[in-house]
Amino acid sequence: MRTSKGSKIAALAVGLSLIVAACGDDKDASSTTAGSETTAGSETTAGSETTAGSETTAGEGGEAAMRITYDIAEEAVWDDGSPITADDFICTYEAVMNTVGSLSTVGYDQILTVAAGESEKQVVVEFKTVYAPYRGLFSGLVKKAAVADCNDISGDFQTEFTFSNRPYKLESWDETQAIFVPNENYWGEDKAVTSKVVIVPKADQETEIASLLASEVDFIYPQYSPETADAVAGDANVKVSIQFGGDYEGLYFQQQEGPFADPIFRQAFAQSIDVDSIMEQIYSPIVEGAEQLTCGPIVPGRFCDETTVQDTYDPEGAAALLEENGWAKDGSGFWAKDGEAPEIRWMINTGNTRREGAQAFLIPLMQAAGFNVVADNCEAECVFQQRLPSLDYDLGMYISTAPPDPQYLTSSFACDQIPTEENNFAGQNSQGWCNQEATDLLYKADATVDLDERAGYIKDAIKLMREDWVMLPTFQFPKSGLYRTDKVGGPVEDELNNYAAFNNFHQWTDVDGDGQIVIGAEQWPGCLNPITECANSSWYVWTISFPLQMGVYDTTNDGDYKLTPMMASEPVVETL
Amino acid sequence: MLRFIVRRLLWAIPTLFIVTFVVYCALRLATNPLASYARANPRIAKQPEKMAQYIEENGLWPGITGYIRGYFLWLRGFLTGNWQVSIKGSRPVWPNLKDALINTLRLGIMASIVGISIGLALGIFAALKPGRLRDTAVNTGALIGFSIQPFISAVLLQLFFAVQWAKWFGEPLLPTSGMYPPGHTGFDPVLMLKYMILPVIVVSIQTVAAYSRYMRASLLDVLNSDYLRTARSKGISERRVLVKHALRNAMVPIVTLAALDVGAIVGGLIISEAIFEYPGMGMFFLTAESNGDFPELMPWMVIVTSSVILFNLLADLAYAWLDPRIRLD
Repeated sequence: MRTSKGSKIAALAVGLSLIVAACGDDKDASSTTAGSETTAGSETTAGSETTAGSETTAGEGGEAAMRITYDIAEEAVWDDGSPITADDFICTYEAVMNTVGSLSTVGYDQILTVAAGESEKQVVVEFKTVYAPYRGLFSGLVKKAAVADCNDISGDFQTEFTFSNRPYKLESWDETQAIFVPNENYWGEDKAVTSKVVIVPKADQETEIASLLASEVDFIYPQYSPETADAVAGDANVKVSIQFGGDYEGLYFQQQEGPFADPIFRQAFAQSIDVDSIMEQIYSPIVEGAEQLTCGPIVPGRFCDETTVQDTYDPEGAAALLEENGWAKDGSGFWAKDGEAPEIRWMINTGNTRREGAQAFLIPLMQAAGFNVVADNCEAECVFQQRLPSLDYDLGMYISTAPPDPQYLTSSFACDQIPTEENNFAGQNSQGWCNQEATDLLYKADATVDLDERAGYIKDAIKLMREDWVMLPTFQFPKSGLYRTDKVGGPVEDELNNYAAFNNFHQWTDVDGDGQIVIGAEQWPGCLNPITECANSSWYVWTISFPLQMGVYDTTNDGDYKLTPMMASEPVVETL
Repeated sequence: MLRFIVRRLLWAIPTLFIVTFVVYCALRLATNPLASYARANPRIAKQPEKMAQYIEENGLWPGITGYIRGYFLWLRGFLTGNWQVSIKGSRPVWPNLKDALINTLRLGIMASIVGISIGLALGIFAALKPGRLRDTAVNTGALIGFSIQPFISAVLLQLFFAVQWAKWFGEPLLPTSGMYPPGHTGFDPVLMLKYMILPVIVVSIQTVAAYSRYMRASLLDVLNSDYLRTARSKGISERRVLVKHALRNAMVPIVTLAALDVGAIVGGLIISEAIFEYPGMGMFFLTAESNGDFPELMPWMVIVTSSVILFNLLADLAYAWLDPRIRLD
């Protein structure tokens, strides 16, 4: 499972205090409170004196279009008792922007300056442009005192994560387990309930289900399948909870190089995929009557146009298109041009039986249609941390977890988010798709506060995506949590749909009184760095980043944002 | 004897030298550490100067001379303790390798002691009455033991002692994975033993089967030899014949096999460790291999190779100790 990490990282950086030196007349500024949906320029506020008292500043400077002032709660401290200050926001911004191998700089690259405001508990951030998805920025802070150099933390966090501003802190981490114990200095009301939470890796779903049945783990969060429910059906103490949220699965076409760099071939291939039969064979057994997700890379809601990706299957049209463009079937029955029939490497993560089933079903069909598709799979870590970022595949199939804000589309599909030397190889456009018109629309959407207007831009961008055959969405995938009611209690099911997954485990109760809650993890991070490739996995952010790094906003189970206890008040957003 | 040991140890140096060079070349060809590094760090991989720096620091030059230079750079680092860091996670290799080695030795030695002891006892038990019911039972049991592969016995035992047991009685009787329960830190021999029961049983099953067959065959050979017939004709008691003469000589080939087997254990009980998620040398190897992690695989290979050489020497020494006719010159 892949996390759209752009917004998380973006959220990180915004929290920096911004230097306001070059800003213009504050009296002319208009502002809106974070969380409201008012249009920029609607509400005038008194200008702030943002730079007073600041000694540290990060950013390039310049004329600002938007300013956000964050007030950190006075009582907000790290687990060692030291205060959370503007310096930590600045450090986060610097780490995201300058660390070698930073996963994504989206959002942060719109920042001009970050600086302390009237006190070390105030942060002022100024942006080059109006940046509507600002609530995704500074979603998890990097503690300045925990790293040697905020401008490059690539060498930090190899096996330890030494700070926390959440209810738990990480006591130890290795290849076999992560142990969380209460953060004694946590100031919020939602303090840790259980004295210890342990997360243990499990090799695959079968193993984790067996561990749940054997009472070796108390909770698991697998990708749902009917077999999962069947496997635990005989145990009355195991409860299964399913919710539909931001997860969606799709087929992705890497088009920077390889066979899909040819748009004709790509279109013909996509039109030869019988999505209805995939739904029937692969997804209907999961949820009866499963229907294709037709929005594109987004789940139903305000930003979705459900007519965008419909009726894509057109094998005759595909064949005609290829023939018109000089393709012909060779002796093996594969489409070839200039004597070469391209091989299409279909990459999935090994051990995922549903995707393996999809390959087993679809590869013969595609070969019969004249496309030389071969399975080219590897472990989850290899897929998500290595091959996707290096665009080392032709056809991919994976689940994305969409955060509440559609900004992730920019970090996943904009031209400048293709990892290149120019962007220091940061970016999550793993398809290598570049359509400047779509990119402009996505960035325009990010700079538009009015939600309807923003939705229009996003829908238009997705239509261009559909025309370019970037991906085929298949299914809005259910999230599932399985837990032992004789071992763990409390609000276990309340946050399963959250982008941050089971992030409320600090409120779960230890029913059997063994002093701990044990969570099984399907994937295990190779290192703990929150900025680099290590973080390009849902399981990393679920098990490390979210439980330890609090930022300005948290995501909610119904796909929205809420202010965290780290903040004294809603940030003040001003368009200048 | 001392001369023999010294000579063998001296011979071990060039042997290790040659073996590690061959392994170095083979692993570099097989894992392509530069490509592995590029895959693990896709963004860094696109920066030529950083890749060039990685090549220089790790001696990954191309060509025959590059391999030779690279080997000596690696060797110097290895001998001076300046080991290359892992490709995955850029971590020091030794701490994890050391833990894996200790864990495997614990499991392997315990399984060997249990397996070999029971196997020998059963072999003796069968050999004393060849062709009788007990002999048939031991032979049949050994055949079954040989036939049950670890991945089958492990899963069956896990299902029975954990999953089904938990269904029947509410709690599993034996744990199915790891070395300690989740959340445990530190050393606790009792807990550790509990977690080793199933892996030890699985590893021991085939050991018992093998050694019962070896022992039975070896002892039967000795019991039917001329010198034992002579001993019996001298009126030495059957018990004394068995204990003093037969067993000692029957043990000669067994000890050799045992020494070699124990040496090989260091290489990891890969299947059993994987099924029981036991963090030993087998798991270490599997993880390193799947990552193409050359800096982790090389020390692993050196330790395994050294272990085989060492236990070969020990086998020779034991051989001489058990059979005075053998002179170690």
